[in-house]
Amino acid sequence: MSSTLPVTAPAERGTTSAGAGGRRGRSWVARTRPWLLLAPGLVVLVVLMLWPLVRVFLFSLQDYGLPQIVSGEQEWNGVDNYVEVLTSAQLWAVVLPNTIGFAALAVTATVALGTAVAVLLASLGTLWRTVVSSAIMAAWAMPAVTGTYVWIWIFDADRGVFNHVLQTLGLQDQPVNWFTDRWSFYAIVLLNVVHHGFPFVAVTVLAGLLGVPKELLEAAEIDGAGAWRRFFSIIVPQLRQVFAVVIIMSTIWDFKVFAQVYLMPGGAGTNREVLNLGVWSYVESFGQNRYGFGSAIAVLLTVMLLAITVVYVRTILKEDEL
Amino acid sequence: MRRHFSTRATTAATAAVVALVAAGCSGPDGGGEGGGATDAEGQTLDVWIMQGTNPSADTFFDEVGAAFTAQTGAELNVDFIEWADAHDRFVTSIAGGTTPDVAETGTTWTPEFADAGALAPVGDHVTQAGLDGDLVEGLVDAGTYEGELYGMPWYAGVRALVYNTEIFDDAGVEPPTSWAELESAAQAIQDEHPDKIAVAVPGDAEFTVYPWVWGAGGEVATLEGETWTSQLDSPASQDGLAFWTGLAEQGLSSAGATTWRETDVLDAFAAGDVGMAVMGSWTPGAILEANPDMEGRFAAVPIPGQDGGIAPSVLGGSHLSMFSTSENQDLAFAFIELMTTGEFAEKWGEQAGYFPGQTSLLDETLESTDPLVAPFAEQFVDGGASVPVSPAFGAVQARATTSTMMQSILSGSSDVATASRSAAEEMTSLLNGGS
Repeated sequence: MSSTLPVTAPAERGTTSAGAGGRRGRSWVARTRPWLLLAPGLVVLVVLMLWPLVRVFLFSLQDYGLPQIVSGEQEWNGVDNYVEVLTSAQLWAVVLPNTIGFAALAVTATVALGTAVAVLLASLGTLWRTVVSSAIMAAWAMPAVTGTYVWIWIFDADRGVFNHVLQTLGLQDQPVNWFTDRWSFYAIVLLNVVHHGFPFVAVTVLAGLLGVPKELLEAAEIDGAGAWRRFFSIIVPQLRQVFAVVIIMSTIWDFKVFAQVYLMPGGAGTNREVLNLGVWSYVESFGQNRYGFGSAIAVLLTVMLLAITVVYVRTILKEDEL
Repeated sequence: MRRHFSTRATTAATAAVVALVAAGCSGPDGGGEGGGATDAEGQTLDVWIMQGTNPSADTFFDEVGAAFTAQTGAELNVDFIEWADAHDRFVTSIAGGTTPDVAETGTTWTPEFADAGALAPVGDHVTQAGLDGDLVEGLVDAGTYEGELYGMPWYAGVRALVYNTEIFDDAGVEPPTSWAELESAAQAIQDEHPDKIAVAVPGDAEFTVYPWVWGAGGEVATLEGETWTSQLDSPASQDGLAFWTGLAEQGLSSAGATTWRETDVLDAFAAGDVGMAVMGSWTPGAILEANPDMEGRFAAVPIPGQDGGIAPSVLGGSHLSMFSTSENQDLAFAFIELMTTGEFAEKWGEQAGYFPGQTSLLDETLESTDPLVAPFAEQFVDGGASVPVSPAFGAVQARATTSTMMQSILSGSSDVATASRSAAEEMTSLLNGGS
């Protein structure tokens, strides 16, 4: 009921002349006005974002499976799910090293390649810029599932182009199944993810590059700075916020890689050496209807990504303020 | 895809409420069972059927809908569900209380949903309809949970040994009847066609593995009292696994097959690249669809046992299950009976390439002399088996326990003894509710 007060108050005041009470009311309205204006957006956020988050957190404290869904009973088990996640030998030996190692490599490669392509695009004329950006947009627009199947086909043991070329060149006698080895498996995933992820970086960095004042670059050139020096001393500091955004986004995406691993031969759990956090949590929780356990993994992943983001934002943007 | 046989949604809903009240009044043992089912004018029965089993499912259900309305007065509303999304859709609809009245459930899902309390038992209805003893035993076993029948046997298929007759003729070999013959046949094919795959040993296809375990006299898992014990690491099981994976080790399969699923086996076989493979009774149609040139160039035999005979193979199929949310269970069973017995059951089996779940119908199918039906029928009757009937077997499949074992052996990262021991440990723990 209290939420309707501020709405009705101005209406009442409109019919009577302003008095002492009216002035007090006005200042109250003035203080709450920003919140009133934010209210529709906040309501949507609370309903669509906050409530599901709270629910996931609540599920993570329960033994929540198909029988509980049907009966509607709640079986609280405290932090058991969290204990089980954090004491899993597989998590520490395979899942986390794969996830973190892969994310580090993928983010570095995506940002480096994306920036290089952005610099290339910035130096091109209108026609070629259109041609090149259309070409990279195609890589970006391709759905992850489709892209993954193309890479699978390229590296297929019996009919893949890659083995065919190697055998034609005489570099190998027998077909090799590249999906069974942990390293070659992730090399293919890396190609796939970088190919799919670099256009976003390129386009975002290009937008930043075009915003760098020409005068600064010309002044530096007159002062005798070479191309590398101009790039690292002028362009990179100017683009700090842009890099913060692309690195954070890429980190979040590359941590959560699922389809590109799950769809690969052996990636759906039959080759335990290549499990990453996404596939592991799916196999261990959803595959076995253990939704409470899956929620605990989701909460931990969210906390981990939040922590990484906070560290990034602080290190990258704090320097900027100094 | 959605098909509506009813456009009178409002009247149907009103009538359904009235019928619900009426149904609530009659006792479970009331003699008027048949009356309730045949006088359901204005009601609608919601049904989920898996897509892709029968290419002519649309016309089939048009006919079933007409017959159902003629018999009961109620309308039929069939939704087709993709196998890949089906499990998730069942779970979400169970959570939201929006399950259909009747649905096709894969045999390994039935105990799982029954365990969750989502299904209504059909045993009493089966007895009343006089169908006791006329249902295929393997399917009844798979649909029974804690002594109650929850899944009405509908159709099933079985895997046997499918071979390429041209490749066999070239190599001058006969279809094998024992493991020694199978191995020498594969060797002969390899010598004749070094570029072909003599026998496909896929790493991600658990149902092609169990026949070799059973064929050597082993077991997947045994139940003693309340406790399951996986027998994958018993000497007999290891013997079977060693033979099957040994074929790949001798280079008679292919490196790619290490990560193959059954669909990959089918693709390679349809392309004419494979000498023999364990494939399902429903695959001949798919092989011809993928490559019409294969017409008349392949045949099947039951999977040979170690020293002859038939190695058992899993009966994979579907039940029709009634959900506990169904308001008029007599009407729901009237539909189930219409589908799983008599004319429509037979027709579905013929169109889809599966065997019916009613024994009296199956006997007719068994008389078939079709070279792509008879061997499967023989396997179905004399060599049908079931995976452990436990709601936890879904967890074993989700963990890919058996495929993990196969892949680690085939890729050379583990040997049969080690891999089978860790697979057995994991399966035992999962079947007993561990993780």
